[in-house]
Amino acid sequence: MSGQTAFTLILPIAFGSAAVVYLSGKISAALRNFLAVFFAAVPLVLLTALYGYTGKIVYYDLSFLNQSLILRIDAFAWYFASAVALIDFLAIVFSLRYMEDKKQLDFYYFAMLLVNAGMLGIVLSGDLLSFFMFWEIMSWITYLLISYKGGKAVAAALKYMIMSIMGSCAMLLALGSLYSTCGTFDISGVAEGMSSATPGYRLFILLLMIFSFGIKNAIVPVHVWLPDAHSEAVSPFSAVLSGVLVRMGIYGFLLVMFVLVRWNAVLELRILGLLDFHLVFCWIGAITIVVPTFIALLQDDAKRLLAWHGIGQGGYMVLGIGLGTSMGIAGGVFHTLNHATYIALLFMVVGAVEYRTNGVRDLNELGGLAKKMPITFIGGLTGILGLIGVPLTNGFVSKWLIYKSLVMNERPLLAFAALIGTWGTILSVFKFLHHIFLGQLPQKYNNVKEAPFSMRFSIITLSLVIFLFGIFPGLPLTVISAMLDSFGIIPLNPTLFGVPSTLGELNTITILAAVLAMMVIGYAVFAWARKARRTDQFDSYGAGAYVPVNRYQYSVRFYERAYEVIGPYIRDRIDEFYIWFVEKAEGFFDTARKIYTGNVNSSTAYIVFLLAVLVILKMWGRF
Amino acid sequence: MVQQVISMIVLPVIALVIAVFFLGLSRKITARIHRRHGPPLYQPLIDVVKLLTQKENISHGTIFDLGIVLSVAGGLATILFIPAGGLHPLSSSGDFLVVLYLMLLSPLGLALAAGASENPNASIGVSRKFILALGYEVPFLLAALAVMVHFRTTSLVEIVSLQRESLLNWSVFTLPLPALATFLVLPAMLSIRPFDFAGAPQEVASGPLVELGGKYLAFAAIQGALHTYIVLAIFVDLYLGGGANILTFFLKMLAVFFIGVCINGVMPRFRVKQALIYLWKWPAIIAFAGLVIVMWTSR
Repeated sequence: MSGQTAFTLILPIAFGSAAVVYLSGKISAALRNFLAVFFAAVPLVLLTALYGYTGKIVYYDLSFLNQSLILRIDAFAWYFASAVALIDFLAIVFSLRYMEDKKQLDFYYFAMLLVNAGMLGIVLSGDLLSFFMFWEIMSWITYLLISYKGGKAVAAALKYMIMSIMGSCAMLLALGSLYSTCGTFDISGVAEGMSSATPGYRLFILLLMIFSFGIKNAIVPVHVWLPDAHSEAVSPFSAVLSGVLVRMGIYGFLLVMFVLVRWNAVLELRILGLLDFHLVFCWIGAITIVVPTFIALLQDDAKRLLAWHGIGQGGYMVLGIGLGTSMGIAGGVFHTLNHATYIALLFMVVGAVEYRTNGVRDLNELGGLAKKMPITFIGGLTGILGLIGVPLTNGFVSKWLIYKSLVMNERPLLAFAALIGTWGTILSVFKFLHHIFLGQLPQKYNNVKEAPFSMRFSIITLSLVIFLFGIFPGLPLTVISAMLDSFGIIPLNPTLFGVPSTLGELNTITILAAVLAMMVIGYAVFAWARKARRTDQFDSYGAGAYVPVNRYQYSVRFYERAYEVIGPYIRDRIDEFYIWFVEKAEGFFDTARKIYTGNVNSSTAYIVFLLAVLVILKMWGRF
Repeated sequence: MVQQVISMIVLPVIALVIAVFFLGLSRKITARIHRRHGPPLYQPLIDVVKLLTQKENISHGTIFDLGIVLSVAGGLATILFIPAGGLHPLSSSGDFLVVLYLMLLSPLGLALAAGASENPNASIGVSRKFILALGYEVPFLLAALAVMVHFRTTSLVEIVSLQRESLLNWSVFTLPLPALATFLVLPAMLSIRPFDFAGAPQEVASGPLVELGGKYLAFAAIQGALHTYIVLAIFVDLYLGGGANILTFFLKMLAVFFIGVCINGVMPRFRVKQALIYLWKWPAIIAFAGLVIVMWTSR
């Protein structure tokens, strides 16, 4: 199959499969499940075949506007499309068992495939009109998927939708303005038109777009929809949502800053003539790292904890991209992929635990499950190592690139925000791992079994990807380097195991060799010493006192002493502000309702009144 | 190349010897401060050998076993990336930022083993340890960033070589505030008094170590000793100009350690909250001031 055919096929198959899967569900559930997995795998296979391919196709002519709708693929589009296809495929495989006893499954798989298709459409769009179309498809289906469970989920979905619509309005405004300025929707055409625009106009477009993409990417202060949405959505969709869907915002940032308005032009922009635009963007990133990460520390709901980290990790991407050096952007873009892998993995781990414990995700209720679910535990461990950025995981390489570029560009305060954010992460994810998997196993979980095969498959695959990209960071970084080249930024030219020695000292294979060698030596000594006797969990030291049998576990208010100090400072004041605003607005609307009664008579009265005013004004000669 | 391979083998051995010697020394000095005679200098060596050859060992499962092995392996791997007086076997493969993250492996291994030991005292100890780390990382990172920005590099080898010219080039003289801040948090990084609440024997039955015995306790003791070596080595590299050879490097570490042990010998124990407030107050303010000065002068 030639590249052209493969590329032409992706979107029709992606959209078509959603309908096919929905209809097949009316015939048989097994057929539907098979087709869903099969069709989720197709874009992944096609994209693998398209590695290194660049191309462009016109798929529809808008003759009345003299415009055409275009799809294009290059390193930039391919990179994001592959991440989307991978995560969505694994999420659908994971869904097979997770969703088996839920209702409306035809609709669920339909929506999952449609969201996948929408995201693929976004990243493959060659013009802004298609981009907006696919963006809206994705946003609306997301609303349906968040509200899938009903109850509290509907409120969360509504919160998401209101913010999403605000973002869409801003984007639409920007698109309309761009069209009237540049006379085209084609991305390369708009980029050309923008090259002669005034700085003020560039700033206007950037601010609108960043507001819109920032809502999707959940940067502070427009992040409030995300914690509710993530904790209420079903786990496989949480994985997609946090892993790739939210990161469409990062794709948007890159598109607007590096393709539409070129980076050289962005660097010259000042807000109010004082503040460097890109530094303000960096500081937003820094705040997005620190505050949400420390809020995550206080969470007791496993998914809510991860959701807050999803916001916090987005800050690293914004910080890297906003800095704008080759290393910084490469770090930010690489982190987007890495985040997709480990946060999807962690949501799946929570999903597997939920599945086996009848929906428990309160961290204080769990414990000791590593004994019952070893594979899931390994997945959870790999996930948190990636999230922290421990060497040999992919998260380390991307964070290293970001730190290194911040230090070398003499931005120590931003670097400090990033580094201390990592410490907040360490504390809260250890709590996550410890409360679910370590410590004593409560007796009610004595019969818990390992997660079923389809769940283990997704968990193991993602764990392997995390280590693969952590040990061979050159694989994705080569694509990112090509992407930087197309942005007009000096490419990174990575080696397979890190960056060229002129840029910095990082060689993952040496780190791997050192750690492995020391593990072997350590284990040799360990094995040489007398073999240990395995004891029961209740055979533990109670400091001279009787050890109670069922609940001898330290988990509730794990970091109490730290909460006492930092607790008062890390409330989500922004959410509180929005809630206050909504209450006030409701009061206002109640007042407004007294005027707008919905009664025909009063409406007529208003119209007559308005006409009377107009007539009087006319008589005064004001028109 | 040959030299590199040799230093790769020699450095962990030297580090182990130094680390165990320091352990013995600290017991001796503390004893003298307390007007006791104290055990011989090689007592920790005897203890470790005795524990490793102990007949009875108790395990709490695979995570428990691998965690304790990782805690030692992570420490040994980190040592290879820290220049020690002319020996720097793997510094070209990882800079200070890599070291900062490799340093996580060892405590992480111990934390996993502690979590897997199914005893709440261990969990309390780990939680206290993490809170302590959150406390001292704020001033430590601010100070470390000041050093990196001052020397315009993240490579420890370069930081050391840029201080080599004369005594006055040592960061402790060129960057007095970051050096002071790091020195103030050094007892916290070493988990000695007044910051030894994570493994407090009377309150939480030695915290993370509560379920460890035999070879496990031996590994934990080695891990603790290696951790002391790593922290002191980083302090010497960052602020005291590293060392021309392993001997001067060792003497500088010894000087820093001696002061630390003296503080340990006379101080009572902080409560967790007190420690956090202390660490985030003066050391952090001093480190921040140092960083601001560096940013100002490098403009």
